[in-house]
Amino acid sequence: MRTRTSLLGLGFVSPALALLFAFFLMPVVLTTVFAFTNMSTATGITGGSHVITGNLLRDLGNAGIDNDVITALGEASFSVTSETLAAAADAGVEPRFLGEIEARLMGQNFEDARSFESALKSLPSRPTRIRELKLATEPFERSILNTRYASRADMEAAITSMAPDAPAETISTIAEASYTGWRWIDGGNFQTLLDRPETIRIVLNTVFYVAATLAFNVFVGLFLAITTFYLPKTGAGFFSVLWLLPRITPVVLYAVMWKWFTWDNGFLYVIAEQLGLPAFNYMKGSVPTAWATIILVNGFVGASFGMILFSGALRAIPIQQLWASEVDGASRWQQIRQIILPQLRWPILFVTSYQTLSLLSSYEQIWLTTNGGPGSTTTVWALEAFNTALNNYTGNLEYGMGAAMALILVAVGLVLSILYLRMFRFDELVNKPRIEF
Amino acid sequence: MTILKTTKLLATTAMLLSGTMLAAQAEDYTITVWAGGTGDTSNYRYDNIVMAADILEREAAIRGEELNITVETQAWSGWDDFKQAVTLAAEAGNAPNIIISGHEDIGPWSQSGLLRPVEDYVDFDAWPLNAIYPNLYDITSYDGVVWGIPQDAESRPFFYSRANLKAIGWTDADIEALPGKVASGEYTLYNMIDDAKKMQDAGVVEAGKGFVPRPSNGPDYWQFYISFGGEMVDAETGKLVLDKQAMTDMFQFFVDAADAGVVPATHLGSTWDAFHEAVANDQAGFWHAGTWTVSEWQTKWGLEDFFGQMQYSLIPAGNENGKANTISHPLVYLLSNAGTDDDAAISAELISIASEPRFNALHAVKSGKVALSDAQASIPLFANDRWAGIATTELLPHATAIPNDVEFGPYWTAMFKNLEASWTGTVSVEDAVNALEAEVTSALGDKIIVR
Repeated sequence: MRTRTSLLGLGFVSPALALLFAFFLMPVVLTTVFAFTNMSTATGITGGSHVITGNLLRDLGNAGIDNDVITALGEASFSVTSETLAAAADAGVEPRFLGEIEARLMGQNFEDARSFESALKSLPSRPTRIRELKLATEPFERSILNTRYASRADMEAAITSMAPDAPAETISTIAEASYTGWRWIDGGNFQTLLDRPETIRIVLNTVFYVAATLAFNVFVGLFLAITTFYLPKTGAGFFSVLWLLPRITPVVLYAVMWKWFTWDNGFLYVIAEQLGLPAFNYMKGSVPTAWATIILVNGFVGASFGMILFSGALRAIPIQQLWASEVDGASRWQQIRQIILPQLRWPILFVTSYQTLSLLSSYEQIWLTTNGGPGSTTTVWALEAFNTALNNYTGNLEYGMGAAMALILVAVGLVLSILYLRMFRFDELVNKPRIEF
Repeated sequence: MTILKTTKLLATTAMLLSGTMLAAQAEDYTITVWAGGTGDTSNYRYDNIVMAADILEREAAIRGEELNITVETQAWSGWDDFKQAVTLAAEAGNAPNIIISGHEDIGPWSQSGLLRPVEDYVDFDAWPLNAIYPNLYDITSYDGVVWGIPQDAESRPFFYSRANLKAIGWTDADIEALPGKVASGEYTLYNMIDDAKKMQDAGVVEAGKGFVPRPSNGPDYWQFYISFGGEMVDAETGKLVLDKQAMTDMFQFFVDAADAGVVPATHLGSTWDAFHEAVANDQAGFWHAGTWTVSEWQTKWGLEDFFGQMQYSLIPAGNENGKANTISHPLVYLLSNAGTDDDAAISAELISIASEPRFNALHAVKSGKVALSDAQASIPLFANDRWAGIATTELLPHATAIPNDVEFGPYWTAMFKNLEASWTGTVSVEDAVNALEAEVTSALGDKIIVR
């Protein structure tokens, strides 16, 4: 009987487990893997191939590879010989065209593709489509420059064919260097982050952002919950819904509304102008106003979250306690301090810890409003990670570095979660009540 | 030559056999075209491909073949979203057939195998590709391979408000002589700060509007590095160069401009609308922008008499180390690795046809770009457009291009980030340049020369 229940339980949790695996565990695992690589736009994610380019040969020359080998690898020529003609026949070059090549160009050598192509173009049976002509030249080519080889073994074989005398060690070095995909770089990304002077600035920005927004969330949420608690029910409902608007408005729309509110010729701008106050783009025009904007933008979203939780908790306070206190002549303020706040301890702790973690990883409102500016004064860690890995002007997406930054965020989040659980004794919160009501 | 060897052999066989077998059958192709940085005036960037498809179909019909090409186009007005879309689509195997992007993407995209070299698919000795200025092909080449066909080019001049210059005592003759003085290095960026200050002090323009630089990252900022004697690439070794002195002078220039109050310390990240509004309506003294923005000011911001209202020149030199200059940032047609070899061959033919001077002239005149060939310059539509002509003949010869180096992206990102940091005053110029040096040397190692 016992096993059957466990199985049933497992059956019920399995969808959740699958989702947990797909949407939490896998991303974390992949992030961890990516974080130790130099993955970027240039290396691709899925892996690379092996290719020898002019630049690579130059670098290898600088790195002390034998010059004869470099020269041999850099050679490119087109020659019409019986072997290349046979290769061309195998590749399916049209027989009549091939016949003409043999008759008119046999034994000739061409130094580059262009001269060979122009020789081919003079033949009567040349293909009409330029791509076909180009493909027909390839069997005659003797060069490994800019040819992509899928495996290292193919690359090594190709190097050997061009430079048969090269020592095995050199061939191996060149094949290794010719890889275009990503490589493991151990803790290289973390070292770079440590070395970057701006890292500390972004950390400080993040701490400030989380602390300020959190304070706003909790205090405004509390204030709203308590004031609406004392309001008549109908009025309270209306205000609660009003404060929910920032949360239920789509985030892009919400950001656009803030732009209208704070930008040049926006609502605040016009009012400030009328009043003779400094009127400028408050969202991006100065560091203090930019911070104020993003703290308010995020703060209003979070305040409604606090408000709902606190309101619910307030309703759970036995109303008789308030009646009794009024009989004793307690003021509103005394009620709040002596009765309400002590009983809101758990909700406040919950909102604080939950919001810390969600603010740490939030960047979308900042991205849509100040975008980390002016300069990088309002750039927080999550936004920087997003920009590094997925979104920047030069299109140089550094997946590896971005993942390293995200991994640090995951680690900080885990440490904070444990700290919060310890500090606020959540186990007590979820304990069985000692008194039965 | 970047397709894998095995694929290549298969493609060769299939293509060469198909040449005879499929001649009479109908061929259907769907070609996708994605263009970045493409605003309202740049629709011919992709519309030219659509027109080219029509011509290619007609050519096929004349040869007795039935060819149906469906062109699907998509344009992004910005760059970050576009580059993200291309990169991630390519990783997922859904890249568009034709990509229209900045030439600097060739480095990383060719390394990752996202691109096919266009030189394997087109004939540079045939019209119209043989008409395009050869130096433009240098810009579309990387590692000795031509990866792209130039789609357009521009220059990024400095502009002056004639009315505001007159308000601080300049005569018409002074204003006419200005481009010459800039070119010779007599009028420098620091002279400009002084004059911008004069305009603000005289109440001609508002505080912080004397000098209005580009509000966001762009190739434009490398022009100021060159103005102070910087070099992006070492001619001898082909490696990237960080000239610390030039970088310091360039960062210092923007800090000095902010200290003088002619540009706000928080200018970067402000809006393009505010930029256009100010410069198109004589609310600013000095600014710099791409040649194409002139058509934007005319169509969207109420600019009527461009030549009567504004003067233009190269970007002035910053000090005796540098020179007056401008940067051209050509966009290129690139062939992606998506689809079959036949798709790529068709895409390449479309690109070739879209490079007809007449087609390129449509784009260049509508969007304020320069000519890519003498033939294009002589198309009446283009020849009769005064600004397009000036941009081609007066400004383009002084233009440099940013390098295609695969490592240039990280260098650029780090440069702009540190420029921003010093400009906003969050770090000193010295610290910003040292941070830049630390960042690029740790990321690029010996692939960058620090001077």
